[in-house]
Amino acid sequence: MAAPRSNREFVEACIKSGDAVRIKQEVDWENEAGAIVRRACELAAPAPFMEKIKDYPGFSYFGAPLSTYRRMAISMGMDPASSLPEIGREYVKRTNGEVVPPVLVDRKDAPCKENILKGADVDLCRLPVPLVHDGDGGRYVGTWHAVVTKHPVRGDVNWGMYRQMMFDSRTMSGAVFPFSDLGKALNDYYLPRGESCPFATAIGLSPLAAMAACAPSPIPEPELTGMLAGEPVRLVKCETNDLEVPADAEIILEGEICPDYKVEEGPFGEYTGYRTSPRDFRVTFRVNCITYRNNATMTISNMGVPQDEGQLLRSFSLGLELEKLLKSQGIPVTGVYMHPRSTHHMMIVGVKPTYSGVAQQIGQLAFGSKLGPWFHMVMVVDDQTDIYNWDEVYHAFCTRCHPANGIHIYKNSPGTPLYPFATPHERKFSIGSKVVFDCLWPTDWDKINDVPTLVSFKHVYPQDIQDKVLANWTAYGYPPVK
Amino acid sequence: MNQWEVFVNDVKELAEDTELELTIRTLNPGIHKYTYKRVRAQVSADLKKHADQLQVRLGRGQLSQGRFSIKVLGEVQRMPAKYL
Ligand SMILES: Cc1cc2nc3c(=O)[nH]c(=O)nc-3n(C[C@H](O)[C@H](O)[C@H](O)COP(=O)(O)O)c2cc1C
Repeated sequence: MAAPRSNREFVEACIKSGDAVRIKQEVDWENEAGAIVRRACELAAPAPFMEKIKDYPGFSYFGAPLSTYRRMAISMGMDPASSLPEIGREYVKRTNGEVVPPVLVDRKDAPCKENILKGADVDLCRLPVPLVHDGDGGRYVGTWHAVVTKHPVRGDVNWGMYRQMMFDSRTMSGAVFPFSDLGKALNDYYLPRGESCPFATAIGLSPLAAMAACAPSPIPEPELTGMLAGEPVRLVKCETNDLEVPADAEIILEGEICPDYKVEEGPFGEYTGYRTSPRDFRVTFRVNCITYRNNATMTISNMGVPQDEGQLLRSFSLGLELEKLLKSQGIPVTGVYMHPRSTHHMMIVGVKPTYSGVAQQIGQLAFGSKLGPWFHMVMVVDDQTDIYNWDEVYHAFCTRCHPANGIHIYKNSPGTPLYPFATPHERKFSIGSKVVFDCLWPTDWDKINDVPTLVSFKHVYPQDIQDKVLANWTAYGYPPVK
Repeated sequence: MNQWEVFVNDVKELAEDTELELTIRTLNPGIHKYTYKRVRAQVSADLKKHADQLQVRLGRGQLSQGRFSIKVLGEVQRMPAKYL
């Protein structure tokens, strides 16, 4: 099965496998569409493809695109029943492979150019921008999209998923955090010079382009999309600036980021499951041109309590990129997992504890990396603990983590304004604190006499006894174990 | 009659019968619902004092019980002319 090349191919594949439903009755862009997506996320239900939107004939919505592992497998062209470790292995294999550069196509071969609005016709309200959650600071144009920019000096392209709120018919305000690639380009270059930064927002991307836009990988996103898909992503030149955008995207907004003008953004439902970050003056985007496909589909990610893309996909890619980082440094890690329920705040690391201090080494590397602001807990367990099994990890934590020696706290590190536990001052200035939970037996303990023995069916009985008990389990009168 | 909404951290920010500068969004039905304007305005807790109505939301989107009538005196253009 090939990876879907566009959002349309993805919707079709999901409907075919039972992982999306067509909603034919009219849905309101004000709260109703958002509520459907939210409930689908909370139930891990099929993704809603809403074909009829109030006030917006000809447009549709696709919500909760990658909020289940099944849809993630479909997006990679894999069997929907693939397990999480299988999807993870495939992601690592593809992203460690040959770089696949994008190809540039002619405007006439780019569906995103089927309709073009310029000048006085530019009005974001002509698009079915949803009010995702009741009480949000605005209707959000960008919830599942890529903001495309180019570094002014290095020339490298950045696609980032930074939320964008509609302020008025031509203005959006967005949360671009200072430690993100775009945040750094703005703060290092554009803002001090008072120069505006050209941008394009692409909405309704192929699922792998969207995955690339929110993956914390050092590989530029167009190349990363090609590597994930196994074929080049098709790009086309913008109408009003030099940027290139995915030709098969549903909607493109072109414009400039204003260095000298800010409008209010938020509050908004966030991946932590709360509205945490305050309404504030954030990065302001002025839209000069809108292009879109016939019968365009707007994609919606509805962030809130688990599980939506904010937790499931980000936990997945953050965990795997951290695993790559640790392995690149020769740390004897056996796996990294972020449980979506932790809202990617806890990194669980399995390691062969061959030397002392390895848990702190892991924590310091992970927290010190570009990815560090996004999580604040690292829990290190040994390679005998199944990192995907929370019962085992929790047991290890509660029994092996020494309250005085095994918990290491770091203050004044980079954070995000989204941490619900952070003080108002910390949120305002993206200040974080971090903790490592070392759940390893100390390497200087005597392995025979000091290290306790795990008492479990799997660990204390001889293999022949285990086999006999398992073989006779139903004969003893127990129902079969699934 | 127009319906508007404003976000404040504290309802006390809405001093009555003095000229205020506010960022308000329209709640009038239609495709432009929820778009913002920066305005000079006067508000009053007396709902009959001005023709337009103002609803209030607090810092994290909670709907406040406080209701006001509002008179929009004019629009304030914050955006530099080069972007218009
Ligand atoms: C649905 C969704 C919404 C996101 N919204 C934001 C956002 O508003 N601001 C932000 O800085 N990162 C946001 N992220 C995370 C970024 O997409 C992610 O960090 C990405 O790697 C871009 O960061 P970079 O510029 O550092 O590469 C979001 C991720 C997802 C999945």
